[in-house]
Amino acid sequence: MEGRLANSWRLTLNDKNFIKTALLSEIRIDGRKPFEYLLIIMVIYREDGSSEVQLGQTRVMGMVTAQLVQPYRDRPKEGILSIFTEFSPMADPSFEPGRPGELAVELGRIVDRGLRESRAVDTESLCILAGKFVWAIRIDLHILDNGGNLVDAANIAALAALLTFRRPECSLGGEDGQEVIVHPPEIREPLPLTVHHLPIAISFGFFSNESILVIDPTHNEEAVMGGRMTTTVNANGDICAIQKSGGEGVPRRVIMQCLQLATSKAASITKQIKDAVEVFNTERALRKIKRHPTSTGDDVREKQN
Amino acid sequence: MENKQSSSPASFVDSTVVPGDVVLDLSSMTNQTIKLGGGLRQDCDAISAMKAGTLRFSKPNKYWIESSQKRYVPCVEDTILGIVVDSKADNFLIDIKGPAMGFLPVLAFEGGTRRNIPKFEVGTLLYLRVVKANFGMNPELSCTDASGKAAEFGPLKDGYMFETSTGLSRKLLSSPACPVLEALGKKLSFEIAVGLNGRVWVNAASPDTIVVVANAIMKSECLSEAQQIIMVDHLLKNIQ
Repeated sequence: MEGRLANSWRLTLNDKNFIKTALLSEIRIDGRKPFEYLLIIMVIYREDGSSEVQLGQTRVMGMVTAQLVQPYRDRPKEGILSIFTEFSPMADPSFEPGRPGELAVELGRIVDRGLRESRAVDTESLCILAGKFVWAIRIDLHILDNGGNLVDAANIAALAALLTFRRPECSLGGEDGQEVIVHPPEIREPLPLTVHHLPIAISFGFFSNESILVIDPTHNEEAVMGGRMTTTVNANGDICAIQKSGGEGVPRRVIMQCLQLATSKAASITKQIKDAVEVFNTERALRKIKRHPTSTGDDVREKQN
Repeated sequence: MENKQSSSPASFVDSTVVPGDVVLDLSSMTNQTIKLGGGLRQDCDAISAMKAGTLRFSKPNKYWIESSQKRYVPCVEDTILGIVVDSKADNFLIDIKGPAMGFLPVLAFEGGTRRNIPKFEVGTLLYLRVVKANFGMNPELSCTDASGKAAEFGPLKDGYMFETSTGLSRKLLSSPACPVLEALGKKLSFEIAVGLNGRVWVNAASPDTIVVVANAIMKSECLSEAQQIIMVDHLLKNIQ
């Protein structure tokens, strides 16, 4: 029992009161304004399909890997996109090892819905041989440190990883043209995924009934706030998904206000992701000549085990 | 004493030590009483280090190892900030950011008797002193000083508590005063309580001031003295 108590994360009454009273005068504990987003630091590793995002204290690592599998029976011409989350107790002692918690499931679902429902990733281009072979894209999201607003950070990490991912090129061969040949990366340049647009998740926190609204809540604010809403929008202003959790009711006027704020934030975040990916691409092109022979191939196999 | 230090292994003072280093040899310093702080242990005549850090010495006889970590290892006579987690018949359970819950006996208050047991809600912030910190048992805390007086210990009202590393909290308590606090104190008036377990509580008249002080302290960890003063000036300019 005591172990459980020691691991559960808690906030003092002083902090709870202070966060609420300070918000009444539009002050947040990290010196931000209520509608100010934290600075995003994005690191894209040398490897294809990996990224690390820092949003204040929060750190999330994204990893994209691919595997050739048989497609689902009802969708023989579509590739598969799946998202897995890893909440390690190293990030936050309140995460229990093993069984994924409620938050882990919700986070995975929000990111998944944003990407899938808006058809951001073109799954049809992942088909190699209808009914037999398609690429299954797997996105792994590792939470490295929890400083609040995991959903937004995880979503950005997933997008950055997807944009930098390259899958090996395939072609059909053999006598009957039914044999799949996977070309190693040194022989044919691996292909990037087709990503139509970037659905950006932006979270809002609601506090009691004073209609206080904050964007990008921190860990402490998450413990105090009554309700949260995550809107997934892209830079064109299309709404891809909305997730509302927590008890606090939100009037329609406030939802519209949130969506407007989210759209403007989404544009700047999209630009930031694209810039980071651009830098990665130029670096990648520069070192292409000297690439290690098995850099991509090995990695894919390792991740599948 | 000073002479002995230069000849004996006590010249380890102010240098970096790693676990296993024998930092003091008691056989060469008889007739002395020394007090050991965090990170040191005694094996017969040898005092050895248990963690990596800098060995510190404070006159007349205190030795401890200073390092910076997120988790606090309780040590006798440290003053800390704890959060009430649960109350039992004999003890309050206190979260002290350590490996085990701290026990605060319900009678460990000034003039505490069975009749006037204080009531603390879960989540109350307390300023406490560590009384016992032995291996394999929960550290025991107290809300009084060694002579049984309340002396500033007890619940902290209002304000804002934030977490830092243990190294930073020790730096804040050092004398002469830490440059951040000195620079802030010239312009603002605020109340501060620093726990050696890496918790800092700040209170002031307006939330603005609390936010500035809290942020200045959190940012100061990796800055030099001059940088700290520049940073504080910059922050103060922003709010005026």
